[in-house]
Amino acid sequence: MIKIETSSFIPIYEQIKKEIKSRISLGMLKRDEPLPSIRDLAAELIVNPNTVARAYRELEMEGFIYTRKGKGCFVADDSSSLISEERVKILNKIFDDAIEEAIKFDCAGAVIAKAFEERLRRAMKGKEKGKS
Amino acid sequence: MSEILKIQNLSKSFGKNRILQDFSVSLEKGRVYGLLGKNGEGKTTLIRMIMGVIPPDSGEIFFKGKKITFRDADYKKEIGYIPEESFFYVWMRIVDVLDFNASFYPAWNAKKASEYLERFSLDRKSRVGKLSRGMKLKLGLVVALAAKPELLILDDPTSGIDVPTRQDFLKNIIRELSDAGTTILFSTHLVHELERIIERLGILHHGHLILDENYEKVKNRAKRIRLTFGNTAPAELDIPGILTAKKENERWESVIYPWNEEIEAKIRSISGTRLEIEPLSLEEIFMSFVS
Repeated sequence: MIKIETSSFIPIYEQIKKEIKSRISLGMLKRDEPLPSIRDLAAELIVNPNTVARAYRELEMEGFIYTRKGKGCFVADDSSSLISEERVKILNKIFDDAIEEAIKFDCAGAVIAKAFEERLRRAMKGKEKGKS
Repeated sequence: MSEILKIQNLSKSFGKNRILQDFSVSLEKGRVYGLLGKNGEGKTTLIRMIMGVIPPDSGEIFFKGKKITFRDADYKKEIGYIPEESFFYVWMRIVDVLDFNASFYPAWNAKKASEYLERFSLDRKSRVGKLSRGMKLKLGLVVALAAKPELLILDDPTSGIDVPTRQDFLKNIIRELSDAGTTILFSTHLVHELERIIERLGILHHGHLILDENYEKVKNRAKRIRLTFGNTAPAELDIPGILTAKKENERWESVIYPWNEEIEAKIRSISGTRLEIEPLSLEEIFMSFVS
């Protein structure tokens, strides 16, 4: 179930968007699968229906879902490729922030690169161990 | 935008006690307006004037563009009203309450009333006198919604009601909002109810509407800052828009409204300081305005 946090910094419609995107990326919502109606989702989350409508409208504009008149909203065909694009975007943002922070601490480029590589190697090793 | 309710310069006193002063507000059709105020700030007085229960000393109220005069009854057929303490005759059975109310409202929807009774597990034959407070609230909701109102006024209806009943109540309000595009005026001192639902926020304080703004804008414009000074903090903070401020050693903590880039630039230009900026919950925003 979608969870939202009213005390959060992030507006409710953004939270709804994010939750739906993550469900698509995890395969919980498959292509052409219907999304809950605005009315039902709004009642379930106890939020204003206009908030849900806004989230759906933006998801549609971004290409993740499509609307069929009178039938509701559905997951778009190419949503998964969009999601991978989205992932790269998020990843880049995280790195940008980290690099900016490191530069503030006067770290040299080589130091940043080394720290990153070490961590990546360690994380990947840990992941493989976890699998076996 | 189309206005459904417009209030202009409304004032009301009880004896020497001035309750409302020059109160003006306008409600857009199909939107949810949250009116916050502490107990005894005049929320109920305002609503009773809208409902024509008491006359204002001065000022005007317009419903769908038509001026309301005191004791005018016609317009009330289009308004659903759920007061803090729903009033029904204790000797009536639920079915009698529905019949009784149906006679007042031309747009009464008996089918809807039945649906809601079932959803709320209310028995038609129960006597009102035997209902719990939560059940009476649900009955009040059934009556208000079966009347197919264009405007629904909720006057602190959920105070003293347990959380599951409250959530159930709100869910049904939301369904109504989706289906019928009803305009809602939600007056409360329970802030949590409003946070997820409202589109516009009004704060009533000492008889004045001290805030009347799109809620999303309010959330973006209300910020708490913590400004830590390298050595000693100054005795006063010279920043516009301070709602609350307190000093603790070398740090000032303050709530600022309306926050903007100029203010941020101004604060950042104070040398030798570290600035933290935080958003606020509706409850914190409300408390900052009225404390």
